Amino acid sequence: MKLQALRKGAMLVTVSALMIFVITMLGWFAFGCYISDGGRGWNVPIREYSKALTWDGTTYTFTGENLLEKDRWMMLLNPQGRVVWSLRKPEDVPEQYTLTDVASFTRWYLEDYPVRCWVRPDGLLVVGSPKGSVWKHDIAMNTQDLLQAPLWFAGIFLLALGSVLGLAWLTVGNWFRQDQQVRDAARSNWINGVSHDIRTPLSVVMGYAAQLEDAPDLSPLHRQQASAIRAQSQVIRDLVNDLNLTMRLDCEMQALRKETLRPEAFLRQIGADFLNGGMGSGFNFEIDLPEIPLPEMNADPFLLRRAINNLLTNCVRHNSPGGLIRLGAKTAGKWIVLWVEGGTLDDSTETHAPQFLEPDGGAAHGTGLRLVTQIAAAHGGKTEFHSGTPYRCELWMPQK
Amino acid sequence: MAYRIFIVDDEPALQNMVKEILTQAGYEVDAALSCAQAMERFPTAAPDAVLLDVMLPDGDGFSLFGKLREIRDVPVLFLSARDEDEARLRGLGLGADDYITKPFLPQELLLRLRAVLRRVYRETSGLSSLADVKIDWGKSTIYRNGSEVSLTAKEFALLKKLWEARGNIVTIDALCAALWDGPLVGYENTLMVHIRRLREKIEADPSHPKFLLTVRGLGYRLKREERQ
Repeated sequence: MKLQALRKGAMLVTVSALMIFVITMLGWFAFGCYISDGGRGWNVPIREYSKALTWDGTTYTFTGENLLEKDRWMMLLNPQGRVVWSLRKPEDVPEQYTLTDVASFTRWYLEDYPVRCWVRPDGLLVVGSPKGSVWKHDIAMNTQDLLQAPLWFAGIFLLALGSVLGLAWLTVGNWFRQDQQVRDAARSNWINGVSHDIRTPLSVVMGYAAQLEDAPDLSPLHRQQASAIRAQSQVIRDLVNDLNLTMRLDCEMQALRKETLRPEAFLRQIGADFLNGGMGSGFNFEIDLPEIPLPEMNADPFLLRRAINNLLTNCVRHNSPGGLIRLGAKTAGKWIVLWVEGGTLDDSTETHAPQFLEPDGGAAHGTGLRLVTQIAAAHGGKTEFHSGTPYRCELWMPQK
Repeated sequence: MAYRIFIVDDEPALQNMVKEILTQAGYEVDAALSCAQAMERFPTAAPDAVLLDVMLPDGDGFSLFGKLREIRDVPVLFLSARDEDEARLRGLGLGADDYITKPFLPQELLLRLRAVLRRVYRETSGLSSLADVKIDWGKSTIYRNGSEVSLTAKEFALLKKLWEARGNIVTIDALCAALWDGPLVGYENTLMVHIRRLREKIEADPSHPKFLLTVRGLGYRLKREERQ
């Protein structure tokens, strides 16, 4: 699902980039067409005008009327700066020019008229346009800078393109995240609702089964059957609890309430509760803590207790009566390793928690262990599961 | 005299089951199926504790909790199918004495209810006995074979902490916290000394204790005495 969403996002961004490129090119083309005046305006090379102006020995003849727009004018200055020929020259344009005047108007304006100049053997040809019709600017640039200009333009273009694509990527990602959040919330609420509805009838089943288990007037067989109902109801209860929590962790809806914990005290309390609650009855239980005090951890005690309890329950399930269950902790570099050992699990050599959801979305075996992995990950830790005899589960937690 | 427990839960099957469990355990029970019924019956029921569901057909248990507490200051245990942290913390934050999540085992319910009643009504204010040792909680004194045996304040606090959880393991850390007002590191050896001295005063053969038992690596357990 995520891969498909990413593919869609990538495609959308690529199409957007292509569209930006095509629209820019079309825009430049349209602008070119708009400013084009059929070769008669400012853009007509002045060389063409010069070619059209000829001297027959007595007089000048201009044959390029079709190239020159009606509001444009021309004049030819001789080497002494005097106007020797002109066409539609405005009255406010002088007849004589000094070297300084020529130097100025060739670069800027002549009496505010934008002009272009062309050097000919017989003088200087000047073509003028109406005042305010053309903007002129003198550009001078260091050659080295000029050579670098394309690189600068390309870099700026790529930067702009990258920014646009990045923004588009973020926007698209945000849409998908929002969509995912809505779906996650719906899924979590649904599971929460279903598990809520299961809890009350399960209480009745567990309660009556536990009472029948201790009823003196029932036969041993019936008491055994009641015990099985009670035990299986507890399995369902654990599954419902795990399913709820795993979903909340998956959807990042479970807030971590971290506290500073002393690993020894924390594990001793879990061990005591394990034995006090009767979970460990029929098993040999040992706690293995180093003599040197362990460093403190910063963790959510409720979640971490849940994780360790799941590991202990897992050991009970894979153990035989009279078997040994060990709970312990040690340090490994910057980690505190909390571990539970006992029972046998040799049907695989897995080092990761088994998958908990089948492809069709149904709950599969191993929800409890998957939850342990999720809780470790939520604290920035990890888990390791070592199959064999004894079956060993390790929860690696960062030190405070 | 038996404690009176008032149950408020809208599920008749669950209510009946809890009634049976409590009645068999020697409690007197009264019940209501809704907020309105609870408000009507609560004053006359005059219970010693309330088991209160959070989701009720005509309101929520949190609001009802406040109204019941206005009428009578009794211990309240929430009994809910909602297991979210927010719900638990809200219930306990309001001042409830415990929050039990459904489904639960009858024994779990009884143990937690008993713990609340013991804490609130201070059962340890009278006399208790452990084999040939009599404990007078009011005078903070113990008698062995009729003779008074002096206990230090720490030894008595230790005995009280173990007695409150009798039958269950109390961790070294919990005992240290009870004796020295905080989970202190490095007090284990001092604790062992106090345990040894307490054994000398309550056990017939301190080298082979029958009641104050060591649970290796975890803590200590005061074994239940049948004649209590």
